[in-house]
Amino acid sequence: MKKQIAVIGLEMHCELKSNSKVFSSARNSYSEIPNTNIAPLDMAFPGTLPVVNKKCVEDALKMSIVLNCKQPEYMFFDRKNYYYPDLPKGYQITQMTNPVGTCGKIEIEVNDQLIPVHIHDIHLEEDSASLDHFFDTSNIDYNRSGIPLLELVTEPCFHSANEAVAFLEHMRRVYQYCDISEADTKKGQIRCDVNVSIMDEDATELGTKVEIKNVNSFGGVHDAIVYEIERQMKLKEEGRYNEVEQETRRWDEETASTIRMRSKVDAIDYKYFVEPNIPKYKISKEWIEEIKGKIPRLHLERKQDYINNYGLSSYDAEILVKDKEISDYFEECLALEIDAKSASNWITTQILGYINKNSLTINDLYLNPKRLKDLIDELNKGSISTKQAKEIFLKVIEEKKEVKDFINKDNAQISNKDELTKIIDEILANNQSQIEEYKNGRTNIFDYFVGQVMKQTRGKANPVLTKEILTEKLK
Amino acid sequence: MNKFTKEMVDDYAEKLLIGLTDEENKMVLDEFEEIDRNIDLINEIPNISEVTPMTHTLDDFTFELRPDEAKESIPIEEALKNAGATDGREIEVPKVVN
Amino acid sequence: MDKSIKELHELLKSGQITSEDLVKESLKKSHEIEDKYNAFVTICDDATEKEVTDSLVSGIPFGVKDNYSTKDVLSTGSSNTLKNYVPFYTATVVQKLFDAGAIMVNKTALDEFGMGGTGTTCHTGPVLNPWDKTRMCAGSSAGSACAVAAGVYPFALGSDTGDSIRKPAAYCGIVGYKPTYGMLSRYGLFPFASSLDHCGVLTRSVEDAAIVCDIMKGKDECDMTSWDSSHIHLQESLTGDIKGKKLFYIKEICDLENYPNANEELKAHLENFNKTLDLLKEAGAIVEKISIDQRLLNAIASVYVVISCAEATSNMSNLTGIIFGPRSDKQDVFEMMKDHRTLGFSPLIKRRFIIGSYVLQKENQERYFRNAARVRRLIVDKMKELFKTYDALILPVSSGPAKKLDEDKDIIDKNTSVLEEHLQIGNFGGFPSITIPNGFVNDLPVGVNLTGNCYDDENVLNIAYTLESMMPYKGQIAKERE
Repeated sequence: MKKQIAVIGLEMHCELKSNSKVFSSARNSYSEIPNTNIAPLDMAFPGTLPVVNKKCVEDALKMSIVLNCKQPEYMFFDRKNYYYPDLPKGYQITQMTNPVGTCGKIEIEVNDQLIPVHIHDIHLEEDSASLDHFFDTSNIDYNRSGIPLLELVTEPCFHSANEAVAFLEHMRRVYQYCDISEADTKKGQIRCDVNVSIMDEDATELGTKVEIKNVNSFGGVHDAIVYEIERQMKLKEEGRYNEVEQETRRWDEETASTIRMRSKVDAIDYKYFVEPNIPKYKISKEWIEEIKGKIPRLHLERKQDYINNYGLSSYDAEILVKDKEISDYFEECLALEIDAKSASNWITTQILGYINKNSLTINDLYLNPKRLKDLIDELNKGSISTKQAKEIFLKVIEEKKEVKDFINKDNAQISNKDELTKIIDEILANNQSQIEEYKNGRTNIFDYFVGQVMKQTRGKANPVLTKEILTEKLK
Repeated sequence: MNKFTKEMVDDYAEKLLIGLTDEENKMVLDEFEEIDRNIDLINEIPNISEVTPMTHTLDDFTFELRPDEAKESIPIEEALKNAGATDGREIEVPKVVN
Repeated sequence: MDKSIKELHELLKSGQITSEDLVKESLKKSHEIEDKYNAFVTICDDATEKEVTDSLVSGIPFGVKDNYSTKDVLSTGSSNTLKNYVPFYTATVVQKLFDAGAIMVNKTALDEFGMGGTGTTCHTGPVLNPWDKTRMCAGSSAGSACAVAAGVYPFALGSDTGDSIRKPAAYCGIVGYKPTYGMLSRYGLFPFASSLDHCGVLTRSVEDAAIVCDIMKGKDECDMTSWDSSHIHLQESLTGDIKGKKLFYIKEICDLENYPNANEELKAHLENFNKTLDLLKEAGAIVEKISIDQRLLNAIASVYVVISCAEATSNMSNLTGIIFGPRSDKQDVFEMMKDHRTLGFSPLIKRRFIIGSYVLQKENQERYFRNAARVRRLIVDKMKELFKTYDALILPVSSGPAKKLDEDKDIIDKNTSVLEEHLQIGNFGGFPSITIPNGFVNDLPVGVNLTGNCYDDENVLNIAYTLESMMPYKGQIAKERE
């Protein structure tokens, strides 16, 4: 058998952040209590009409721009018609004929290599209600009905589960950077459909495409792809490739396998047509420009910037860009002319350590970049030790005070050579026997003297200077 | 030769979750040839492939999209009062299995 | 109750009558009319008087077609699928009338969800014509037309997807007006075909239609297709002066020679129409006959059937008996939804659904649904081009007076002349369109229709008003033929 390659395409649904739903004025927020965020439209009461939320359109356009898609001149929507108990109108309002973005292309990083990803389209639509299942009944909660979703459809351009997951990770971060979704898989905010086929390495036509519906975690996407590639490969090896059918399967977490749902022949005819209740909305060039101005620098660009222009390691740069708030914090530090490496060190060790331990976000931290600068400045001046700096770091945060409040005569580091020499002379005068021992070769007793100096100064003696003077005196 | 069959008519209805009695099916089937011929009059208009389908009644007016402001939810008792079966705050239906 | 809104308002203001008197009289009349003609789904016996203010409709009773959502009042769309549905919200246009002080005294019967042109497919049974009980009112706003004609109140709300206000108005000898698409919010109107549906009103005079629509119109944040019409003042625009206005009518529709087998009714109807044209000329208007490609006219009914049936299948997909409507006791959820629909819809609208399903199938969509939308544009573009030259199109409504009830076959008949279907042009383009009474044929009322360009409602109504004032049918009340 010739070498096989896998060809994978993704459909990624992501819930958008907004105050109200995409076509109704009900709140868009998660609630444990069923049916607390509902407008008449969300339950399709007769006579209700959709009214498009501007923010959702703006965010959809934002993603369209980020993905380098073409934006349409006019925005409009289609109805996707099918019957299901969680779909109160009997159709979903989505975009088929004229999506908010088409023909996009971006680059993502996979194992430190950039690979291109081609975007078929991205479109704005609404979520369905959710069902809770019991012994012989199901309950319908309409809180989710009408929540804005962005669906992103890639071309079949991935060749491994790792690439596909890298793309999802990349996109999750893009959503977060653009602040249009929390993109939290645990909250069900991202749901994926995956299609997988295999083909001979040198073939020009794609193999039979199998679609796997409703995979709700990135781990699931990875495992489903791996499973499906293996399943298809095995059939091909055994000369039974004709048994690979164009069909829809689902990923079953429990058995870690894909299970057949329906064949292509039974595919539903959704009878798409343009939603007449939403007039064509002209997307002006000015609006597009305005939206472009709101798109922040994204993680990949920042990472490369940190490595190439600030000399950070790929490892540290990656930590800094993992979360936009952290990266923004770092960039604020740069703007305050804190040395990039020391800012990076403080953030990746002390700050992240502290906020992770205390479940805070970096923006909650009282030690803002300005205060971090004060701290680093004092350290650089030599007026405090690294140890002291770490203590002051905690004090500033916990007592909500300024760095200078902890730098006073009392605890300022003693870096004055004369002052320190005076103290050391006193100590040496009182430790004649130890000096003898030292001079007789017990050089490890040196640390004893340092300890005495520290004790005398309550730790405020500049350690470097102390060692310098002691070495001189003990010669 | 009839272009339409009883099965086709049932299939069109089934796709809308509607069942037909034999009588209803026959009524539709008997006229469907003619209905089809009539609606095909559309295709006697020459050179229409270049025309953009008219999907909206008015496409010459400007409007604002809705500002992103949330309003109060409808009261639960209003939402549920017409439903045939409820369970607590939710509408209940026979178990939905895929 | 046989008076105009302005007359009633003056009587109320001067204290000669009270709102309570009017409500009582209107309710009493409602029961009489219900017994005779079967016009209502609900009579609001608990309706009470309202304060008389400066609003012309304050304290005055009115009727609402039963496909408008009305809070705490049964709203069925005249369908078994909603036979027990009591909404918790009120349609925007109805609310505006409530706010102006008008009193809803009944909900009127219609062809199931507006999907019919006869007034005979209501779940409460056929509505009979108040001029002749053996005839239909036409539909779908049958109950509203019947009640206004019979003098239950001066106005009732209707809705119009193909001709559902303007044809029953003609058959009942009253005025029926649907403004430009989007001037009246559709929020709360049960949809039939969203791109063709219009709200509107049935009255006994053009001025009353103007008064009511002045109150109902306006941009609604719940309907994206509604627009700001604050610069339009319908009642004020009724000057009675149409000197120099240019009207056209269509040769292929109006010339008797198009109908070699014309019966006496049709002949009389067209003759009557031609006399009406002379009246317009007398008033100083210019009336011209123009010719339109017959193929385009022949396609009107087909375009309408395809688009309206397709949109209807989707619009009525919410009717599954889960959230509202009678619940089926089937134990499988899909069987339950299906059972609700199978039992709830009448055979006639099932047929329309099947057509809708057929034309939307993937393999048929291009040939039927999308080509219908293309031809719709051609027809609308042709009209818009003519409206550059002309103020309005004038045409006779239907091929004569009301048809016999036993002729109520609601099928799409290829022999149906363009005469029966041309009002649908008004829905294709969202054009303002008004029918006014135009005399009698065989002692039964017939109507004439005026249609103008979008947003030009003032002009259209003024022409209708002027024409109405030259004829003796304004304010007429139906009298049953002996």
